Amino acid sequence: MYILAIESSCDETSMSIIKDGIEEICTVTNTQIDIHKKFGGVVPEVASRSHIENVTIVLDELLERSGFTIDMIDAIGVTYGPGLIGSLMIGLQCAKTISLVTGKPLIPVHHIAGHIYANNLEKRLEFPLIALVVSGGHTDLVYMKEDYSFKRIGSTLDDAVGEAYDKVAKVCGLEYPGGPKVDKLAKLGKDTYDLPYPLDDDSYNFSFSGIKSAVVNLVHNEEQRGNKIRVNDMCTSFQNRVVNVITKKTIRALKEYNCNNLVLAGGVAANSYLREELTKACKDNNINFSYPRMAYCTDNGAMIGAAAYYAYKKGIMADLTLNAVAVETLYNE
Amino acid sequence: MISLFIDTSMANVSISVVKDNKILSLIEKDIPNMHSAYATKYVKDALDTANIDANDVDNIMVVNGPGSFTGVRIGVTIAKTYGYLIKKDITPISSLKSLAISSNYNDMVMSIIPANKSSYYVGIYDKDYNVIYDECFMKKEDILVLCDKYNPYIVGLDQSIIGKYKINKQNLDILKIVNYYMDKEKVNSHKIVPNYLKLPQALEGKND
Repeated sequence: MYILAIESSCDETSMSIIKDGIEEICTVTNTQIDIHKKFGGVVPEVASRSHIENVTIVLDELLERSGFTIDMIDAIGVTYGPGLIGSLMIGLQCAKTISLVTGKPLIPVHHIAGHIYANNLEKRLEFPLIALVVSGGHTDLVYMKEDYSFKRIGSTLDDAVGEAYDKVAKVCGLEYPGGPKVDKLAKLGKDTYDLPYPLDDDSYNFSFSGIKSAVVNLVHNEEQRGNKIRVNDMCTSFQNRVVNVITKKTIRALKEYNCNNLVLAGGVAANSYLREELTKACKDNNINFSYPRMAYCTDNGAMIGAAAYYAYKKGIMADLTLNAVAVETLYNE
Repeated sequence: MISLFIDTSMANVSISVVKDNKILSLIEKDIPNMHSAYATKYVKDALDTANIDANDVDNIMVVNGPGSFTGVRIGVTIAKTYGYLIKKDITPISSLKSLAISSNYNDMVMSIIPANKSSYYVGIYDKDYNVIYDECFMKKEDILVLCDKYNPYIVGLDQSIIGKYKINKQNLDILKIVNYYMDKEKVNSHKIVPNYLKLPQALEGKND
């Protein structure tokens, strides 16, 4: 079964053709990072305008590069949320129109399900599993007993981890998108700043606003004294504590839920230190650990196509009244 | 010759299938904020009612603004995807001019659409719908200066007033609009974009 998948929830217009939920035939992505750089973050109206300029161009390039015609597609999968409503809208209207003109079924895909299923493109998911979803909008621990079944066992109480990374980057003077730069500079620094550990308790929840504020205050205090902060050391100190707590809670969840499989998902899955620490901890505990390649960590159509296949097998379909939603829960238990 | 007319630029969604100077189907619904959910469904309903296969449409006509940014994008995305799939170029329609065309006034007409609290989108046309004053985004005070200068018949979406001038409510005459635009310029589906007439707030006052 060939699924044409469309993802436009934030600042990437991305489309893929995916076979049977596991094989990527082709992906075309138009990223807007350079457009939003000068604003220091994604500007929703600017993002929507860029999506509409590119939507059919991306589709055309996808068909041309893959050698597919639209008739060879069996179904259309589309991200309907969560995300920026104006951005989601473009991919959604495009997907619905393809369904309208061709009569092919429409499959609504939750953006986070997509991030989790990015791992399915590396290796078929094995259940039960724990998914650690870390991105600019999410920090969740999710239990899956089978395909397309999601139970949230823990979540962030305030900022998402990616949000905290970006904020720390900004206050340290690093250019947007700053999260990956924090990861890079952390390798060069030493753990010298006495920052608090973020919600280091017995729950599976996370909280990053405390450590984020601590960094912001420290930087401002130093600035007022006329001192410069040591950016590399700040990055190391921040990253060490964040990754330490995430890793600890993830391993504990795996044990409690009797899971031998961990998958990492979301934009922050690209973080090298998080990957390293989880790899080590999983090895020590005999857990199979999978993370997506870099190209599948950021938003992409491929992961939506992978998730769409399993949603479809569960009978999840939509008619032409499918709407975009900015906030939507994935979790059915 | 089968034409599909799509307008999601304002509170009303209007979808119509027109064949050889005859309206085969017309759906007009006042569904503010629900365009995203229902526009494609209404396109399908309009085609089904007209008994026209989606692939048999010859002309895709879409109101590409000015109007609600999100609303306009919904119609334009549907039109450009549709046009791309059936390999047809798209006819862009001005929301302002479509109001002027719909009025049966045989002289100068000003079309006006509210943009925000104190500003409007505005355009002035002669009796043949040629542009006399370029469509633009304008503050109320400046529009009143234009009104003083041209003293036009003013049409809008609702009956109201601007300064001492009356805005006459104008319903869309879709057949007239479709016929007017029949021989007008078409745009490749990749190239058609909304005619916003206004920058995003984040870009206002920036020179680059």
